[in-house]
Amino acid sequence: MDQGYYRSIRKNFFLSMILVPVIPFILSLTIGYSYFINALETNTIASMKRIVADHRQMIESFLRERTDDLMFILHEYRYQELSRSEVLEKVFRNLQSRSPAFVDLGVFDQNGSHVAYQGPYSLKWKVYRDEDWFKQVLAEGSYVSDIFLGYRQVPHFIIALTKTENGRKWVLRATIDTHMFSELVEKVRIGKTGEAYLLNAQGELQTRQRAGRGLMEKPPDTIEYPDAAGEILTYIGTDLIGEDFLYATTWLKKKEWLLVIRQEKADAFGALRAAAYRIILISLLGGAAIIGVAFYMTGRIITRMKQMDTEKENLGHQLILAQRLAELGEMAAGFAHEINNPLQIIRSEQTLIEMNLDDLKQSGDLKPSEGLAEVEDSMAQIKLQIERCSGITQAILKFGRQGEPRLQEIDLREFIPQVTAMVAKKASVHGIAVTQEISAATPPVYGDPGQLQQVLLNLFNNAMDAISAQHGASGGRLCIQAGPDGDNQIEIAVSDNGCGISSENLKKIFSPFFTTKPVGKGTGLGLSVCFGIIDKLGGEMTVDSKRGEGTTFTVRLPGAA
Amino acid sequence: MEKMRMMLVDDEERFLSTTEKLLKKKGYDVIIAASGQQALDILNRKSIHVVILDVKMPGMDGIETLREIKTRFPLVEVIMLTGHATVESAVDGLKSGATDYLMKPTGLDELIEKAEEAFEKRRRLEEKIRLAQSKKFMKSPRDIIREAENVSD
Repeated sequence: MDQGYYRSIRKNFFLSMILVPVIPFILSLTIGYSYFINALETNTIASMKRIVADHRQMIESFLRERTDDLMFILHEYRYQELSRSEVLEKVFRNLQSRSPAFVDLGVFDQNGSHVAYQGPYSLKWKVYRDEDWFKQVLAEGSYVSDIFLGYRQVPHFIIALTKTENGRKWVLRATIDTHMFSELVEKVRIGKTGEAYLLNAQGELQTRQRAGRGLMEKPPDTIEYPDAAGEILTYIGTDLIGEDFLYATTWLKKKEWLLVIRQEKADAFGALRAAAYRIILISLLGGAAIIGVAFYMTGRIITRMKQMDTEKENLGHQLILAQRLAELGEMAAGFAHEINNPLQIIRSEQTLIEMNLDDLKQSGDLKPSEGLAEVEDSMAQIKLQIERCSGITQAILKFGRQGEPRLQEIDLREFIPQVTAMVAKKASVHGIAVTQEISAATPPVYGDPGQLQQVLLNLFNNAMDAISAQHGASGGRLCIQAGPDGDNQIEIAVSDNGCGISSENLKKIFSPFFTTKPVGKGTGLGLSVCFGIIDKLGGEMTVDSKRGEGTTFTVRLPGAA
Repeated sequence: MEKMRMMLVDDEERFLSTTEKLLKKKGYDVIIAASGQQALDILNRKSIHVVILDVKMPGMDGIETLREIKTRFPLVEVIMLTGHATVESAVDGLKSGATDYLMKPTGLDELIEKAEEAFEKRRRLEEKIRLAQSKKFMKSPRDIIREAENVSD
């Protein structure tokens, strides 16, 4: 098989080995990840909303409480009382003890004149008639301002209430410490980057922003406003510096203030990033494992395939050889049969000639002469050659017509020594030491005893011929080994230390008519007949030889079981 | 004693004629036939003791001829002459009633030897038959009648 064939198989196999597990692997990771994102987003947004709602509640209750504080004063005291600074001072101290957020407290008459003031600034007798807040508080009864600078040029916001007394309105106003209020608003902590701030209707900061923006400035955030009060809007916006933020906004104070809570997206979805890193890590490790396993398995399978193909190829060779032998045998047998007829005639003619010569000699018609002697010698030679031809055709016919083996169980532990005994005499004449190593565990084989004997004798004789050629009459060794060979096979090995076979001849050793023996000594059919016999029994026959060192013929036969 | 008369059956004309010459020179009475059919014809007309029959012939082949001979002339001894050096074809012949077999190329001496053996067998057989028949003749008429009654039972 060519390398390209294996390469393409290897490629296909490798790819499918990777793709088949990788696709569900990636799918499950992706699906898991997307579900996780979804759940996390829902979760994060929900918690953001909850925080916003809680915070709004807190801020609103703060403002309400402060308003209620003032309301209480308004109800408890009359204008005349509060206009007196010692009363106001006492009330203010009470107020501050309730909430330190109060910075000052002032009383105004209907015209906006600051009648009484208690606080760090000297604002008494300033007139506020034209101030926005004053107009509004007179109009609406209560008022919470945005943060503004006012006369004092310090950001602050006020809570003002009005009361009508004897047909005249007067106003109580308190300033809330923006610092404290800011702290209250900013107190929200979500993750590392979460913050909260308030914007007024103009989008100006009412509390500080962590990015360093001060009060009354406009933050560069993209602010989206919810439609109705009480509604919470969440969205993702981009900061000036390009950072993505998760925003949640809700209206406060009758849609005058907007509570904004924001958190850097990366921070809000930090768990997501951790999960993503983990998923990437798992993908990499899993992918590497899949590729590694695929690589290893592909390698193993391809190796096994190559091995099997080689075995198949060898088996194919063996089959082809056996088939070729069978065809050749068939042909040779037909051929030998046809030769036998003319050979028969030649033989008869030769006999007739001989007989006639004898008659002529006896009758005296033929005088003994040199010529006659030569004729007689030729006749003898013709007879000899006819015998030789006859021997060859007989051998060929035997080779061609193996006949079906008569199968029976053969116990090699008894059988091999019996066959070996047949050549014991010849071996001892040639000074060959014969050893037999037959394992007691050798199972019986199924075969034709006559044929198996033929095979063994052939191998023994070949071995002894090779030994004689190498060692003469001493120093030869012939070893017969037999034993189980796994897979219910029995191996019989016949080894000699004879002259060995050249690698060139080794290739042709089982071919019919191949012989290295001198002309007339061998037909070259012995081993090919043996090969055919073993093949028919479902076994195989191999040879291993080293020139000048020896030869081992190995016969493997299936066990009888 | 009767002299052995043999018949050679083969499709090779030259083999027939030469072998005929050789056998005649050796003093044997020999008839030749070039086919199975011809051999049967001759058997119809003449008394033959031993037939040497080639297995492979065109037309009616050796085995077929052998069976025909054995059914029609059971006493004739047949020696199969085969070009196949295997026991199988010989066994086939022997199973069908051949006395023996010869393998091509066979020598004259071998052929004569086997023919003589076959003839000897034939002679012994004929001897037995003759003996059996003479015993029958020597039985008393009463025995014969009793025998016949036993058979009819």
